[in-house]
Amino acid sequence: MDPLEAIKATFFQECDELLADLESGLLELEGGGGDIETVNAVFRAVHSVKGGAGAFGLEPLVRFAHVFETTLDDMRSGKLATEPAAVKVMLRAADVLADHVSAARGQGVVDEAGSLRLVAELKALCGGPAAAGADGDDEVVMVDTEVEDDGFGDFDFTPVIVEIDAPAEAVAAATPTWRIGFKPSRAMYAKANETALLLRELDRIGACQVTLNADDLPDFDALDPEESYFSWIIDIETDQGDAAIREVFEFVEDDCEITIEATGAPVSLDDPFASLDTPALAADPEVEPEAAPSAPDDDVMALLERAKLAAAEIQATTPAAAPAAAAPRAAAAPAPAAALHPADGGDAKTAAGTTIRVDLERVDRLIDLVGELVINQAMLTQRVGESGLARSSTVSVGLEDLEHLTREIQDSVMAIRAQPVKSVFQRMPRLVREVAAMTGKQVRLTTEGENTEVDKTVIERLSDPLIHMIRNAIDHGLENPDVRVAAGKPAEGVVKLCALHRSGRIVIEVSDDGAGINRERVKQIALNKGLIAPDATLTDEETDNLIFLPGFSTAATVSDISGRGVGMDVVRRQVQALGGRISITSNPGKGSTFSLSLPLTLAVLDGMVVGVSGHTLVTPLTAIIETLQPKTNDVRLLGPNGAVLAVRDAYVPLVDVGAVLGYSKGPTDWTTGVVLLVESEVGGRAALLVDAIQGQRQVVIKSLEANYQRVEGIAAATILGDGRVALILDVDALIDVRRKDARRSAAPPAARLPLAS
Amino acid sequence: MSNVTSLDKSGLDKSALDKSGLQKAGRRRELISFRIGPQEFCVDIMSVREIRGWTAATPLPQSPDYVRGVINLRGAVLPIIDLAARLELGDTDATARSVIIVTHIGPRLVGLLVDAVSDILTITEDQVQPTPDIACDTVREFVKGLLAVEGRMISWVALERVLPELEAEAA
Repeated sequence: MDPLEAIKATFFQECDELLADLESGLLELEGGGGDIETVNAVFRAVHSVKGGAGAFGLEPLVRFAHVFETTLDDMRSGKLATEPAAVKVMLRAADVLADHVSAARGQGVVDEAGSLRLVAELKALCGGPAAAGADGDDEVVMVDTEVEDDGFGDFDFTPVIVEIDAPAEAVAAATPTWRIGFKPSRAMYAKANETALLLRELDRIGACQVTLNADDLPDFDALDPEESYFSWIIDIETDQGDAAIREVFEFVEDDCEITIEATGAPVSLDDPFASLDTPALAADPEVEPEAAPSAPDDDVMALLERAKLAAAEIQATTPAAAPAAAAPRAAAAPAPAAALHPADGGDAKTAAGTTIRVDLERVDRLIDLVGELVINQAMLTQRVGESGLARSSTVSVGLEDLEHLTREIQDSVMAIRAQPVKSVFQRMPRLVREVAAMTGKQVRLTTEGENTEVDKTVIERLSDPLIHMIRNAIDHGLENPDVRVAAGKPAEGVVKLCALHRSGRIVIEVSDDGAGINRERVKQIALNKGLIAPDATLTDEETDNLIFLPGFSTAATVSDISGRGVGMDVVRRQVQALGGRISITSNPGKGSTFSLSLPLTLAVLDGMVVGVSGHTLVTPLTAIIETLQPKTNDVRLLGPNGAVLAVRDAYVPLVDVGAVLGYSKGPTDWTTGVVLLVESEVGGRAALLVDAIQGQRQVVIKSLEANYQRVEGIAAATILGDGRVALILDVDALIDVRRKDARRSAAPPAARLPLAS
Repeated sequence: MSNVTSLDKSGLDKSALDKSGLQKAGRRRELISFRIGPQEFCVDIMSVREIRGWTAATPLPQSPDYVRGVINLRGAVLPIIDLAARLELGDTDATARSVIIVTHIGPRLVGLLVDAVSDILTITEDQVQPTPDIACDTVREFVKGLLAVEGRMISWVALERVLPELEAEAA
């Protein structure tokens, strides 16, 4: 990848984190919690996004971020109270900022009108001065991009007297002046801060007279390219006081020496400090490599070459002395370095110390290998057992230790993949705000247990069902504010999102305090759509769960949010694909709760190992209701080659697993073997006939599709203790396959062809 | 910061390597030849990951006859294609002396069951003769070209064709 693209990718990754920080910070403020540190953190997040965006020339993003930042700055300085109304605007601004980031990344577009509206709202929050400030800072942005465009090409600057002019009208006759002494340390540059940007900031406050002091600059030979040798004296005319000046240096104050003193009278332009007898030019070339260690080596070498040339030239042309020079461009030259440090916030630094980013593939490889280790160790144990060594022998004892170790390694490796559900939960507040705005309802989202950990594969696939459930809770669950007030509830509805571990599974609940399910209406709709028989008697629970039937939608008008024909049946299918279950409980007038139960990982599965026609298969334990040995008179033949099993007065279709998978040929003997009574989500209950049950164990799931393709009736594969591959049954598909087979053989030949594919 | 630099460097090194590899491939190629019954075949050595002995495979339901099943390759599930059956030369009678050539076919790893591996050949591309048209669909489909090496005729197998068509999956 192009290095710049790689850096950009990192920037966007960091943006995601910063946006998450931003949102959680704002939410904390909204909830009344948080202090000045929270405000600072929020400010830093926006600032870092803006800084990085500027480096990559992402204009629209920078413009928006800037206005946002300015408003936040007012909040930071206490000019704007952290009251809920303001925070709400900021939350929406955070959403738009996220949109801008996505757009900059090439995903989606920004709603320009909405963006402009928010800009106006933000400016309104902080009043006039902010609007004025905005223009000034846009200019800073331009410096960033411009310098980047120029790259290192524009090096041939000429010595100029320092003057960064402020607009003349800004200089009032009796404006107080301040003298600022500024000496950055090398640490400041190492953090990719940039003097030129600070000077520009100062220029926004008032007219500046900047003087460079390069006295400390050693000879070229003694020069340490990473050291900071320069200091500046800035005379500034401003009526904004020293607090405003200090604010400019806020991000660097720990990494520089800074003095600010009031001098009273305005300084004249031909101040003696404006010219210092120093060969300053020779110095600037080094500033660049110092601040740009990430530049490719040969570039640095080229720069040093040029630096030498420049030094020689200066000596040739101005042997005695050159006037002090710090032309804006020269001072701004190290900016590309700042550009390479898109997020230099303190937070990012500390985070880097405690976490690392690892390619998921590497972790998966590790998990595979540990799985192999476990299998190998099991095989070794078996062999040693077969060799007749005493259990107390040193070999056996050593093997036991090995077993403990491998288990521990396996657990630790699985823990690497476990992540808190927070990453999914964090996306929900925005969704809630959007849906609330669309429906005109007032909604508050509370979350609980967001640190509950679950395997990454589950996390990734959790977000779709969750989004659907939350949309449903707001759109269908919560009433309109006036209805709520009439019913004696607060106008603001509450949607609660809660995660917890329960018996080796993760349970996620989405509950609302709305009206609950209107059972009469649900029944009526199900009846109208022919989903239930007119004379069906249903329990309340059964009625509630009708909403999961395909093609069911209770909204009288198909709304933009949860209509579109994709209903809760889609959610149920998604959840089932993850090996989970979903149900709803409802309390009329009080609200409904969706409850979602998922396995903690998709990497391992609890299975029942069974033998079928000499093959070993694994059946997911979650599908099995019970196992039984059928009595001869419980099996009833039905039709030419079908059979049902009488289970407590109900007849359940019998499925010969061996025949469906093509392992056994010829007529089935229904009376031998063992039956697994399974619950299929699509076809009700079925009885799977297998030869024998070999045991129950946890197996590591291996994909068949990775190297081959999907096989009907098979969910995945696993590797057993003897090192052989065993197939994991897909119970739903198995029952489905059997049905399709039946239909296929019944269908006339002409209709068979398209089906055969 | 140092991160970025090292990334950049490794990226450069890699592309340099790739380039030299490409140039070499343009001039000559190495092939692995193997026997199925009396006939000899070969595949590009770059697509071969390893060669291993035969182990019993777990049969897959509802798969073509030439798919012998899957085996465990250090934790990965590896499908085994009986190349003889695939080329319609009759089923291989797999014994302890049979060989599985583990090959990359696109993104997949696939094991090819053959009778024995015989040679590593170094050839230049102009040595490859076009397959004569013998009015046989199997040959047309699976043989990319022919090589004459020391009086033996070796057929170059088109690896990308040996996996079952994935239409069923797409449908």
